[in-house]
Amino acid sequence: QLTPSSFLRIGQLSNVDLNEDVHELETELPRQRPNEIPHNEKLLSLKYEASALWDASLDYDNSENQLFLEEERRINHTAFRTVEIKRWVICAMIGILTGLVACFIDIVVENLAGLKYRVVKGNIDKFTEKGGLSFSLLLWATLNASVVMVGSVIVAFIEPVAAGSGIPQIKCYLNGVKIPHVVRLKTLVIKVCGVILSVVGGLAVGKEGPMIHSGAVIAAGISQGRSTSLKRDFKIFEYFRRDTEKRDFVSAGAAAGVSAAFGAPVGGVLFSLEEGASFWNQFLTWRIFFASMISTFTLNSVLSVYHGNAWDLSSPGLINFGRFDNEKMGYTIQEIPIFIFMGVVGGILGALFNALNYWLTMFRIRYIHRPCLQVVEAMLVAAVTATVGFVMIYCSRDCQPIQGSTVAYPLQLFCADGEYNSMATAFFNTPEKSVVNLFHDAPGSYNPMTLGMFTLMYFFLACWTYGLTVSAGVFIPSLLIGAAWGRLFGISLSYLTKGSIWADPGKYALMGAAAQLGGIVRMTLSLTVIMMEATGNVTYGFPIMLVLMTAKIVGDYFVEGLYDMHIQLQSVPFLHWEAPVTSHSLTAREVMSAPVTCLRRIERVGTVVDILSDTSSNHNGFPVVESNPGTTQVAGLRGLILRSQLIVLLKHKVFVERANLSLVQRRLKLKDFRDAYPRFPPIQSIHVSQDERECMIDLSEFMNPSPYTVPQEASLPRVFKLFRALGLRHLVVVNNRNEVVGMVTRKDLARYRLGKEGLEELSLAQT
Amino acid sequence: MAPLRCLVLLPALALALGPAAAEGSRRLPALEALGQAEELAEELWGAGLPGDLPELEPECRQLLADFAEGSAALTGCLGRSARPVRLCQACHRHYRHLLAQYGNIARAVGNSSESHNCAKSILTSDRLQIVVTLSDFFNETWEAANCPNCLKNNSEGLSNSTVEFLDLFNKSLTCFEHNLQGQTIHLSVNNYTEVCKNCNKTYKMLNDLYNNLQRTNRQGGESGHSAHLCIDVEDAMNITRKLWSRTFNCSVPCSDTVPVIAVSSFILFLPIVFYLSSFLHSKQKKRILILPKRIQSNASLVNIQEKYS
Repeated sequence: QLTPSSFLRIGQLSNVDLNEDVHELETELPRQRPNEIPHNEKLLSLKYEASALWDASLDYDNSENQLFLEEERRINHTAFRTVEIKRWVICAMIGILTGLVACFIDIVVENLAGLKYRVVKGNIDKFTEKGGLSFSLLLWATLNASVVMVGSVIVAFIEPVAAGSGIPQIKCYLNGVKIPHVVRLKTLVIKVCGVILSVVGGLAVGKEGPMIHSGAVIAAGISQGRSTSLKRDFKIFEYFRRDTEKRDFVSAGAAAGVSAAFGAPVGGVLFSLEEGASFWNQFLTWRIFFASMISTFTLNSVLSVYHGNAWDLSSPGLINFGRFDNEKMGYTIQEIPIFIFMGVVGGILGALFNALNYWLTMFRIRYIHRPCLQVVEAMLVAAVTATVGFVMIYCSRDCQPIQGSTVAYPLQLFCADGEYNSMATAFFNTPEKSVVNLFHDAPGSYNPMTLGMFTLMYFFLACWTYGLTVSAGVFIPSLLIGAAWGRLFGISLSYLTKGSIWADPGKYALMGAAAQLGGIVRMTLSLTVIMMEATGNVTYGFPIMLVLMTAKIVGDYFVEGLYDMHIQLQSVPFLHWEAPVTSHSLTAREVMSAPVTCLRRIERVGTVVDILSDTSSNHNGFPVVESNPGTTQVAGLRGLILRSQLIVLLKHKVFVERANLSLVQRRLKLKDFRDAYPRFPPIQSIHVSQDERECMIDLSEFMNPSPYTVPQEASLPRVFKLFRALGLRHLVVVNNRNEVVGMVTRKDLARYRLGKEGLEELSLAQT
Repeated sequence: MAPLRCLVLLPALALALGPAAAEGSRRLPALEALGQAEELAEELWGAGLPGDLPELEPECRQLLADFAEGSAALTGCLGRSARPVRLCQACHRHYRHLLAQYGNIARAVGNSSESHNCAKSILTSDRLQIVVTLSDFFNETWEAANCPNCLKNNSEGLSNSTVEFLDLFNKSLTCFEHNLQGQTIHLSVNNYTEVCKNCNKTYKMLNDLYNNLQRTNRQGGESGHSAHLCIDVEDAMNITRKLWSRTFNCSVPCSDTVPVIAVSSFILFLPIVFYLSSFLHSKQKKRILILPKRIQSNASLVNIQEKYS
């Protein structure tokens, strides 16, 4: 067999080349066997590929190869205008569908949860008279656990990527990391069902975070005009089948999701901007805003029709904070220091939440990694949540008169007739309703003891719940914890000041909610606007901003935000805004991977197949070098070609010999590459016969002739900037003779991180 | 007849029901006289206006006087039946009258030209618009009390269910009264077992009827109507419930703390077992480290390649 040796020849040659260059660096390292370590935060997983956003080879706008030039010559002005119109149509569809999905979730959750609470309430009422409340407890726990079991089974066994809120995943996607399965239709279905089941199952979760993921999946699906899960191709929007366009639409979808969840269209746009933007332009922003508005309007009109008052458009989001009037709940300037203090408290509590969740997640990754265990864990959490709720209600002696209150499921239990248990309004309800109750119930509907116990319990429950294998968000639980202690704070404040001016605890509940949420997720601009829009009161913008700012500063002093933490724990090569500050001394030569597997401009098919099927080097892009056939001399860099392109070439058997033989064979078009996107077949599925292995393949027509390169002496921050700003996937490092020395990929950059003791280097791990 | 019954109830009940009821109808004679004098003066002033200033047509003045009388009557009625709440039962006639009178004013065009019609001059010719304000106030109060809920559809008289409820309510009050006779409240505070035993049936019936009413109201009432029953019924039920469970301490639920503690501690114990066992028995997930292909580790790469060749 000649093939391996030919591959190795090139490898060796470039290796020799390197040894000449970096002779002084070479040190004698003992040969290490690949060793196993327990999972920790200082790892980067090889599972995640970078999606090429502006990558020269996948993005045909920039890949100025000959095929692209040909296509550009064919497209005229009208065609470009049609494309622009199509973009708007797609955005409208994203908005409408996201809104409808949100409606669906809302209506189903409302009905199923209502059914559950009615059954349990009936049972409790029955057993309160006769005795035997332990059966009610068992019924409640079993109901919760079984509903959650279904929700957890579908997530754990069918689509694990649908677990959690999905915000970290979308953040990674927008950052440029391709997480497998994250924008598939199957994920959407599992996500929606999972959210419904986990909220109905009474877990301490919300349905708002997953809306963002759902919106993103919808956007990705629509903009491609087909679904690979359903194996249907609608033959529309084919122009958008590439990463750049898809990413634009995904950010629109995420914005539409936020807007449907909170009734906050501007907040949605800003969320996309804050979380996803490495580049931004006005037209895109305007389109995203359009999608957001359509989404919240759709939700609003459908829900109004559903609630029977068709024309008043009173429910713009999944969660409504209710009306915050200026007369009743306005704030004065003296209260601002108090709000800032609440921000500090929120920051500390948020940091505590994150730290606890960090340990828990680490434990889960290490020990609870089998799907069955994950399902059992979710069921246990559900049962315990019900039990804790029941015990709290059982022990509470806080009774409030039922007249004039707006409790959905008043539980009497041991209260006098005509009164209800006040603890039950907090626990015996969906979390959204509890939040709104805490904001708006009249002063005095909760006594401080109830609130204190509730905060404490719910804090631990929510912390325990986040990271389970169910799809659920952390927004609402955080708001709920914050609203509870905020209200407690407000009550004690008015008690201390003898109830003078700051009477209404509702606004303190709001500030507490903002502080807690800010302390946990550490979002800034977008969260301020989301909260502002959800309250519908612009004057609250200033205190909310101050509170979130303080919470972020205080929280960042201890640990990082929940989403960043989870991204790090999943070993995703995530690129932050800037390179680590102390990294200027590192040069591209130290950062890059070397040696590089290069291809020649006219390469033997057998060599290509062997390189592609080599499992140990799962490279995605290959530099194409000039070399005269017959000689082993490696000349300068000529271009860059992607694995996916090579596969398409092999599939269509575009070989030099065949081209000569049959002139009738149609020429390969750009469309052939586009049709294969985004799931290119694996190399194993392509059959290449022994004869064909000896053929030659001419890459010059298909490679990107002008890849981005840097000299070896470029510093890490420079390389980083190129990656972040251009969304690169590969960067070729060349020496001064334009010969390939190494290759920088996203992982090579993401592995440097600023830790507690200066610059840290993460290790690569296989998962 | 309900207010009358209140007067003859035991002192404790009267205390619970509120002292306002007993004194509702008493008015200070001096104040009355003063008011009459003022009215007289007003009439003189109104009548004394010369005809050359056509302030108000006589029939308009009549309408206005009717409205004033009606609103006075309604106000009196509302005030008298404020505690215990009997608004809807006692005042629905007054309210209907007032509505009709207001309607007369609003519809009255008068016999003169367009510029002088009654509706215009009474309702909209000044800034204060006191007639409109009054009428709005009454309407709002009526709505807030949810009175239409216990009246018949044409607002004539109480609806059947309300009558039934009030009958039952009176019956249970009578029952309380009977069973409390011969006991002095101040001495035996906790000794209400007699009441609890004997009136349990009536009370349960009343309670069930109330719950039924509430349920039908919630189902029948579209989103426009609020979920509340009318204030009379709500208040009556409220009073009875308070008496029953606070004053008489009749509803003593079975508290079975031991089984609840047992079951809940069992459930709370499960996660500990789960985590411990998965910590001890589950194989810890190991990550396989991959050596990066970097320049520093060239030596090892050379090694790999030597092995191949």
